[in-house]
Amino acid sequence: MNVGDKLSAPKDQILKALDRLRKNWKIVGPTEGPDGEVIFREIESSDEITFNYVNELDPIKRFLAPPTEELFRFRTNGEVKLELPEPPPRQILFGIRSCDVKGIQHWDKFYSGKFVDDAYFARRNNTVLISLACNEPLETCFCICTDTGPFLEEGDGYDVQLTDLGERFLVEIGSERGLQVLEEAGFKAEAASAEELAKRDELMRQCDTKFETTAFMAKGIVQMTNGRVRDSLWEEMGHECFSCGACTHLCPMCTCFDVQDVMEAEDCGRRERCWDSCQYAGYTREASGHNPRAATGSRIQRRFYHKLSFAYIKQDGHHGCVGCGRCIIACEAIGLLDLPAVLKRLRREGQPVEVTQVPTE
Amino acid sequence: MSGSNGNGHLYVPQLAAIVKITDETYDTKTFTLRFVDDDYRKNFTFKSGQFVELSVFGAGEAPFGFASSPNRREDFDVTIRAVGRVTNALHAKREGDLVGVRGPLGNHFPFEEVMGYDILFVGGGIGLPPLRSLIEPMLEAREKFGRIIILYGARTPADRVYKSWLVELEKRDDIEFMQTVDVGDDSWTGNVGVVTTLFKKISVDPSKTVAFTCGPPIMIKFVIQDLLQMGFDGDHIISTLERYMKCGVGKCGHCAIGHKYVCTDGPVFSFTQMRALREQW
Repeated sequence: MNVGDKLSAPKDQILKALDRLRKNWKIVGPTEGPDGEVIFREIESSDEITFNYVNELDPIKRFLAPPTEELFRFRTNGEVKLELPEPPPRQILFGIRSCDVKGIQHWDKFYSGKFVDDAYFARRNNTVLISLACNEPLETCFCICTDTGPFLEEGDGYDVQLTDLGERFLVEIGSERGLQVLEEAGFKAEAASAEELAKRDELMRQCDTKFETTAFMAKGIVQMTNGRVRDSLWEEMGHECFSCGACTHLCPMCTCFDVQDVMEAEDCGRRERCWDSCQYAGYTREASGHNPRAATGSRIQRRFYHKLSFAYIKQDGHHGCVGCGRCIIACEAIGLLDLPAVLKRLRREGQPVEVTQVPTE
Repeated sequence: MSGSNGNGHLYVPQLAAIVKITDETYDTKTFTLRFVDDDYRKNFTFKSGQFVELSVFGAGEAPFGFASSPNRREDFDVTIRAVGRVTNALHAKREGDLVGVRGPLGNHFPFEEVMGYDILFVGGGIGLPPLRSLIEPMLEAREKFGRIIILYGARTPADRVYKSWLVELEKRDDIEFMQTVDVGDDSWTGNVGVVTTLFKKISVDPSKTVAFTCGPPIMIKFVIQDLLQMGFDGDHIISTLERYMKCGVGKCGHCAIGHKYVCTDGPVFSFTQMRALREQW
C-alpha cells in the first residue's frame, strides 16, 4: 500500500479494521442518537456505527478544539507551580464529511505560522481523519458553491477517504498518517477496478445535481471587499439577530476563543479557553466600557467581512465558508442571517442607494 | 521559537516576581517585574512599543505595554490603572508576589528608522507609559535625534503618571516638554485644556518630524486630525491602537480591526496603515 492508492474492500473489512485499532486508539464515529439524529461520539465497537446520516449539527471541530479546553493548571500556595494537562489520546475521526475535513484543514493553517498553537496541535498531531464522501446532500448543504465537497480530491486534507459504492468502500489513501493507521490495523485490499473508479466519479456527478441550496459567492465577495453595502442593511440585520452565536459556534471555519481562569480551591485552579463568538456584544468590550462593535449590525458586518472579503481570501487562500449549511439550521432568525441568505440580500439589496436626479420642468 | 515563552508552550507564561510597586496616581501603579528563571531573564529582550500578556493566576491575563527602556535588561516596568478584573487583582498584589508573563508580543515603534528626525510625542493619561519605553532610549541616544518635543495631557493634575520623571523632563534643556490637564486644581499653574491645545504653542516642520501618539481612542482621533492639518504625512504619524485582547498571538480573534490583528500586526500603526483598515479604529 502507498499514499495515493485507490483500493476497494468490502465494508465489513473497514469496520473490522476499526475494531482492531480500538485497543490503541480512541475511535470517534457516527452513531444514532435518541431521536434518530446522528451523533459523532467515541465508540466501543463498530456495531454502534450508523451509515444512515448526512451530517451532524454539532461541528466535528469539537474533537480537536473542545468547547472548553484546559491550557494549564496553577497552584499558588507559597510558590507558584504550573502544570500542563495530560497529553490527549490518539484518536481516529471516522466517517466525517468533506466540509468538516476542509474546516480542519483551515484550522491547521490558521493555528500554525509564526505562532504555533501547541495546545491545538497536541490533539491534531494525534488525530487521523477518515472521511466519507457524500453521495447525497442535505437540503441545506451547499459545499458545491464553496468548493469543499461533496467529494475530496488529493491534497484536500483527508488521511483516508471512503466512498460508499454499495457493498464495498472505495478507499483512497491521502497521507502517510492514513497509510500508517491502515497498516497498523492489518488492513488489506485490492486495487480498485476501473469500473469502481468510474462509479465513484458517477456518484460525485449525481450528487452535484441534487443540491437545493445555492450561495452566490461572487457578488458578496466583491461587495464585502469594497465595502459597497449600505449601512442601513447592517442595521436591519442587527434588528433581526438574536446575538446567540450559534452560527459561529457551529461553523467549521470559526476559530475564536475566550480565555479565563477557573478556581477549584483557594490556592489552585486552571486556565482554560472556550469557544467565543464575534456575535456577542462582550466580544470587543474593553475594561473601560468602550466597545467598538456595540451595535449588533456592526458585529454581523464583521462576521461577513471575515467570511467573504478578499483581504481574508488572500491571507487564507479561500473564503471563510465550507458550505455545511449548519448556520441555516441553527439561526434563530430563520432564513434571514445564514450565509446563503445574507449573500442573497447582499446581491439584491446591498447596493448603496442610488441618487438619481429627477428632472424638473 | 516565536511565542514559546521559553517553555515550548504558546499560552503557558514564565513566572516573574514583582520586585517593586510604585504608586503613580490614586488608581495607577507601576510594577517592576523580574523573571524568576535566570536563563530566560538573561536572554530576554524587547523593543519599545511591544507588550506582554500579564497573568494574575486566578483572575486571568491581560495585555500591557512595556513602560521602561529596552536598554534596562535586569527587569522592566508596566504601568497599570485598576479598571477591570485582572488589573484590580494586580493592584492587590505585594512586592515579592509572583505573576505570569508571556512576551514580548506585537510589533514595535521605529527607532533606527527615525534617527535624524525631529520627534514629537503626544501622550494622553495612561498612554504615556508605552511612549516612555521609546522616550527613554531616545534620550539615552540624544545626539542621534533632532528636536524632541513631548506633549502630555491628563484629565487632572492628580491623573498624571510619573510625576517625578515629569519634573526631570521639565528641567532638561535638550528637549521641549509641555503638559496640560483638562481640569486644573488650586495648585495647578500650568496649561488647562486637552492635549491638542498645546499644538498652538509649538512650531514643527512636518517634513522632518515624526509624531508618536498614544492615549485613549478619542484623543488619538483628534491628535491625528490636527497633525494632518499641520501638514504631517500619514507615514510620519505613528500611533498605537487598542482593542480588547486575549491571546496576544493572533489566534483568539478579539482584537481584529478589519483583517489586521492589533496584537500581531500592531499595536503600532502608521496613520497610512490605519487609513487602509476597513473598520473604524
